Amino acid sequence: MEVVDHKTHNLENGQAAEEEEEEEVDENANVLQFMDSMDAYLTLIHSLSSNLRQGWLELASARHSMGAYRVNTVLLDHTSHSAATSLLVDEGKEPHFTLCKWGSSGNEKLFLGEEQSSRDKSHPQIRHRGATQLSEEKTTSENKASCEIDDPVQKERSKSLSVFGTLVSPKLRDAQLSFETALETLVEIANRRSEMICAFDKVNKKSGGSKD
Amino acid sequence: MYGFEAMTFNIHGGYLEAIVRGHRAGLLTAADYNNLCQCETLDDIKMHLSATEYGPYLQNEPSPLHTTTIVEKCTLKLVDEYKHMLCQATEPLSTFLEYITYGHMIDNVVLIVTGTLHERDVQELLEKCHPLGMFDSIATLAVAQNMRELYRLVLVDTPLAPYFSECITSEDLDDMNIEIMRNTLYKAYLEDFYKFCQKLGGATAEIMSDLLSFEADRRAVNITINSIGTELTRDDRRKLYSNFGLLYPYGHEELAVCEDIDQVRSAMEKYPPYQSIFSKLSYGESQMLDKAFYEEEVKRLCLAFEQQFHYGVFFSYMRLREQEIRNLMWISECVAQNQKSRVHDSVVFIF
Repeated sequence: MEVVDHKTHNLENGQAAEEEEEEEVDENANVLQFMDSMDAYLTLIHSLSSNLRQGWLELASARHSMGAYRVNTVLLDHTSHSAATSLLVDEGKEPHFTLCKWGSSGNEKLFLGEEQSSRDKSHPQIRHRGATQLSEEKTTSENKASCEIDDPVQKERSKSLSVFGTLVSPKLRDAQLSFETALETLVEIANRRSEMICAFDKVNKKSGGSKD
Repeated sequence: MYGFEAMTFNIHGGYLEAIVRGHRAGLLTAADYNNLCQCETLDDIKMHLSATEYGPYLQNEPSPLHTTTIVEKCTLKLVDEYKHMLCQATEPLSTFLEYITYGHMIDNVVLIVTGTLHERDVQELLEKCHPLGMFDSIATLAVAQNMRELYRLVLVDTPLAPYFSECITSEDLDDMNIEIMRNTLYKAYLEDFYKFCQKLGGATAEIMSDLLSFEADRRAVNITINSIGTELTRDDRRKLYSNFGLLYPYGHEELAVCEDIDQVRSAMEKYPPYQSIFSKLSYGESQMLDKAFYEEEVKRLCLAFEQQFHYGVFFSYMRLREQEIRNLMWISECVAQNQKSRVHDSVVFIF
């Protein structure tokens, strides 16, 4: 009987050791995921700062080239019009943000359809940014049909810049691209932050459970 | 010697030529720009400018300063000097001085019309207009729906009226039509100014022909580069080029079909004065083109002062001051954005 008890005790100890090892592996994975997310977050913050600096200098360069009377806040469009871009918010367990770029009334279905098929999530909530000039949408499947969407995207970009005139300096177009990249980076930062918070919660739960 | 300007010019123009040469001596030098480029804040820039002729215009501005404030106050100084010269001038110098401001008038008309199209407040638009381009009925531009109304209600009584004959349509004003209107008006204005200077004859005609031809050619290049990748057709592009200048007519034919910056370079390098400009740029690059053109323009404007008894000095002075204000704007922006390493990208030294 003592032998059987000893064998059972050994088995139980072995299982507990395996479980502990698995928990430790999971915990390490969570910590690594958190640190990876933080690293990506900090890199994106730096990239955003760089894009914004470049964008503002290119805008100043465009004002210098075209004249302050042609690149001016009084020319911004106050008529009501649909937003050039949309932000899809998926409020699941881990919130995810997707930017749909340059989705005007003609192209909106194209961008949203691509987004839904690639994401395969239910009940996305669309938030429109109203009459801002520099808001954009980013598709997650950029490689697919990139040539097909180049012309409509270029037309939407030109339409957005047309508040300053249709014959604008290449410097103003460069500024637009810089701010476009900055907005994409902002959305990526939001996603990384969401990942970071989720990973941090997991690490906290594990460490809270182990203390108990 | 072109005529006998030396015998008669000083009767009516001597005082004002002396005035403008005095103003020219007050333009900022390379030493001033070097001091300005080392400023850390806009208040430092204000402090350095207080020792120049801009001092009285900036001294009462409260901190924190904004770059647009510096540009506005410096422009006010130019406007005051211009108004003093205009009120002292007799014909034909007074007409010549008025011609210098028609470009700003066109910019103001387009600003008001575009802003109104975008449902902006008229008072807000008027505050942003260039002071040299103001006229009495400018606020009523906001009521026009198309170019015909624009002409009939407002512009028929302004100096821009003769320039409207080529662009009057009943089409509603939209962004493309407004852009074509702007460039068509400016083309007509430059051609009219050129003809006026030719009629004046003598040294004025010779010097102003060179300066206005350069302006027309630069406009042609800018229209070409800015219209690459847009909906503007080749025919429409060609119609916006002025009918004079070194590039007229064969250079215009080549520029009208250009699809990228390298084709523009190939077209322009056939003309020796512009070969030196494009030789400063690398292939595919257009960023430094503006600076290269401004440097060439400043060189030609400074040469105008080497000769006496002509009206070109007035035009040159106004343009040099505008270049100086552009320099100050760029330096202020670089300082405000903490990008002093880029300050020499666009500053053009005059002396």
